[in-house]
Amino acid sequence: MTKTASLRLEGLCRRIGERAILDGINLEVAAGECLALLGPSGCGKSTVLRVIAGLDPCDEGRILLDGRDITHRPPARRRVAMVFQSYALYPHLSVERNLTLGMELRGVPPEQREQELAAVLELLQLGGLRRRRPAQLSGGQRQRVALARALLRKPQLMLLDEPMSNLDAQLREELRPQLRAILSGGRAPAIHVTHDQQEAMGIADRIAVLHDGRLQQCGTPRELYHHPANLFVAGFIGRPQINLLPQDDGTVVGIRPEHLVAVDSGGVPVRVRSREWHGASQQLLLESAQGPLRWTCDGNQEIGEELRLGWEPRHEHRFREASGERLGSPGRHA
Amino acid sequence: MSSLLLMAPALLLLLAVFVWPLLDYAWLSLQAQSVFTGLETVPVGAANWQRLLADGRFWQDAGQTLRFALVSVALELVAGLAIALLLHQRWRGRGTVRSLALLPWALPTTVMALGWRWIFNDPHGPLNGVVQSLGLATVPFLASPDLAWVATVVADVWKTTPFVALLLLAGLQMIPADLYEAFALEGGTPWQGLRRITLPLLRPYIFIAALFRLAQALGVFDLIAVLTGGGPASSTESLAVYAYLNAMRFLDFGYSATVMLGMFLLLLLGAAALLLWRRQAEVGA
Amino acid sequence: MSRRLTAIALGLLLALAMGLLSWVWARPATVVRVLMPAPFADATADLVATFNRAHRDVRIAVTRGPFETDAVSDLAISSLLLGDSPYDLLLMDVTWTAKYAAAGWLEPLDPWLGPEALEPLVTGARAGNRIDGRLYRLPLVADMGLLYWRTDLMAAPPRTPDELVAIARALQQQGKVRWGYVWQGRQYEGLSCVFVELISGFGGQWGPGEAGVGLASPAAARAAGWLQQLVNEGISPRAVANFAEPEALQSFEAGEAAFMRNWPYAWQELQRPGSAVAGRVGITTMVAEPGAAPAATQGSWGFSLLSGSPHPETAVTVLRALTGEASQRRLVSRYGYTPTLQHLFDDPELVAERPQLPQLRQALDQAVLRPLNPGYAQLSDILQRQLSALISGRGEAATAMARAGRESDLLLRASGQEVGR
Repeated sequence: MTKTASLRLEGLCRRIGERAILDGINLEVAAGECLALLGPSGCGKSTVLRVIAGLDPCDEGRILLDGRDITHRPPARRRVAMVFQSYALYPHLSVERNLTLGMELRGVPPEQREQELAAVLELLQLGGLRRRRPAQLSGGQRQRVALARALLRKPQLMLLDEPMSNLDAQLREELRPQLRAILSGGRAPAIHVTHDQQEAMGIADRIAVLHDGRLQQCGTPRELYHHPANLFVAGFIGRPQINLLPQDDGTVVGIRPEHLVAVDSGGVPVRVRSREWHGASQQLLLESAQGPLRWTCDGNQEIGEELRLGWEPRHEHRFREASGERLGSPGRHA
Repeated sequence: MSSLLLMAPALLLLLAVFVWPLLDYAWLSLQAQSVFTGLETVPVGAANWQRLLADGRFWQDAGQTLRFALVSVALELVAGLAIALLLHQRWRGRGTVRSLALLPWALPTTVMALGWRWIFNDPHGPLNGVVQSLGLATVPFLASPDLAWVATVVADVWKTTPFVALLLLAGLQMIPADLYEAFALEGGTPWQGLRRITLPLLRPYIFIAALFRLAQALGVFDLIAVLTGGGPASSTESLAVYAYLNAMRFLDFGYSATVMLGMFLLLLLGAAALLLWRRQAEVGA
Repeated sequence: MSRRLTAIALGLLLALAMGLLSWVWARPATVVRVLMPAPFADATADLVATFNRAHRDVRIAVTRGPFETDAVSDLAISSLLLGDSPYDLLLMDVTWTAKYAAAGWLEPLDPWLGPEALEPLVTGARAGNRIDGRLYRLPLVADMGLLYWRTDLMAAPPRTPDELVAIARALQQQGKVRWGYVWQGRQYEGLSCVFVELISGFGGQWGPGEAGVGLASPAAARAAGWLQQLVNEGISPRAVANFAEPEALQSFEAGEAAFMRNWPYAWQELQRPGSAVAGRVGITTMVAEPGAAPAATQGSWGFSLLSGSPHPETAVTVLRALTGEASQRRLVSRYGYTPTLQHLFDDPELVAERPQLPQLRQALDQAVLRPLNPGYAQLSDILQRQLSALISGRGEAATAMARAGRESDLLLRASGQEVGR
């Protein structure tokens, strides 16, 4: 399946002084696709958005939107919309004015403005709030207004910078499908920055993992989970975290907690130290000669119990310890 | 009852420092107390007020004071905003310039006014040095009734713009940077950003600065006393200078109190107008 | 060892004795507090120190006031208004006397100084001290307006306004000087001083008792018109409308002007190194129309006794000492002030030191007082406003002076004084 890449980043670099904030980022996002940029804080993911938007300068590389090089265009002329982490709503304007100001600046005729406003208010269920000021809105409502404003821009690219981080956990979960529906409804590619892998998995078609300004891996959530390209991705994706067992030959074996099984003989001898009960499953923290291990199972082990654990070879991930790079390729899960 | 008790100290203080002197002046404005009465108070009813209404000099000075205040404060707001915007940007040496910019404000007014008297000196002042180097005839800045008031405005703007700039800079720093980024992404130009975001969000600060400065400028005294002495032909005389002349030079305390109260009433009117304007501006937004 | 002990013991004893002695000496002395403008406080500092050393029971405590005349007045008035004045004696400008006396702040000096107190004074220093027959002030130094002229540019100074203009214009045309005549045109008391000399020089007089206090007269109109003409014709710079004494002095000292109106203090300034006109300056009295008397505005500073002084008699002793001959001699020889005691002008020793004394005396004989009226400050203010407008190019002299006269009459009438016809 070949899609025309709608957004393409080629060797994007951004430096502050000697420090490389972004170091040769290559990415493609197809039209209508939603890509999540995932990484720990400080990894440069927000900078990618800001460079794409033109808010931060690009020191090297190119940004191509629908084949056009927009690397050095001013932000106003990129047709890119962004939902800010703070939402950046104009505090002195009503919801309605917040939404129409941009159209006014862009010279949209009044009747059309009114139409589009009505449509977006309807879409995001903001009709009853149109006369309110941002200070009179809840966090979720503000997020919807920010989203509405971004949609009204009719962008060729939608950028979302941690749009959920200011909301409480429950609201986040409720909004995720909504956001996904809205984003996949558009034709423009979307990039969604988050540090929350669940959010990334819930919303994005593909996830790009960023660490220290470098792209670690880009793929579907499934690929990242079952086929992490390196130790960082393996450790970053998946909760509870993957078990990493250093070997004598300078490699590291990674086993997902749910892939461990109790065995009668062989395997790794462990002792149960603590457990968290999750209803359908339980997570055990185990002690072993190679350090602590995490095991997700549905058994009934008690604290202090000793047992042996093993795994099927097809579930084993192997990495070079020094470089973190993946070795070999066990059977792929499609 | 208990809340009244709690407020009592504050109310008493207000009474002592504000209401009492005001009442005292009001009483004094109904008396003749001058060198001609041997400084005894003699009740004269509304005579001082009648004199005030007919006193061309009071109204001339009121007009001049208002002109001085409005022009000065308007220029200070514009220049202060420009400087604040400049100081709000990031550039090398900004910290140094920020502290240097405050110097005029820190200088005592009398010293500053003496400095300007020298700058405006005809023909030895530096300003006329520039004029002469352009091959033009020197300008009697302080000796011409048409120019002297401009000179007082220039000196006042120079002195108090830093104050306004600082206040507005504090306001600018309260505006989140991402508002401008969002605005730029929506297609707004920096100039539109100034009009649509900066100015509306800065309005409370502009209002405070304007109110402060207007109150100060309407009571201008030392700058004018030193720079021009109110002249030439009383063209730069302010109401405060006139009230001072009446009290300290003419020893006419009854009339001086009347001038002062008259000035206070005009100030009150001005403040009311400003508040009204602000309320309307708010409703309009 | 024992010798050292003895020395220490002796030292202790001596210290004890001195302590006792100083305690005896420190018997509370009567303190006489005097407020003076800064220059006078500085000039009299050693006189005061000498007095304090010589008198055990009286001590003079001088408050060094501000430099500017008006600022000193403000300070004095502020403290007097508060009731009990912190001062016993005040060094006052001649124009304050009537106002302060009317305000009831001054104590008559007659009971102590007698009716002949002013007899030893030069004529030009006598006026302005007595109000309604009571003596309120004893002058310390005389002051009068002078015409400074350039001895290197002309053989003799002009005597009439026309001569002054003619000489000035000729010198300007020859490029010898930039300006003809610099004076005090700023809207302040100095402008009234300039005018007093001129109205007299044009045959008039400024003072109550005349119609429109003398301003509604042809002489006043011509005097004012002459000032306006000086500026209009470029004899005086337009900037003169903001000139006080320092600006006029600066211009003349730089050699820019042929004539200057100023007070005696300027003489010494002009002789300083760095002055472009040192040794090339003469002084004379102000120009006057033929038949009119040339006049010098009387300045002068003098001591007054403030009512409410807890020890007036002691204060008068101090007043006598400070205005006495020894004191005046010192102020003349050391600081170049003009004395008020008549015989000092003929003193050969002083004249040798201050060769300009005879000329100063001559000017003092022409001294004219500004109106001696409690409302003087207002009368002067009315005049200044009109003159300032004329000098800065607004209005016409006769109309402006007539208006000043009307406003002055109005003021005097409102204050219950008789208005001349």
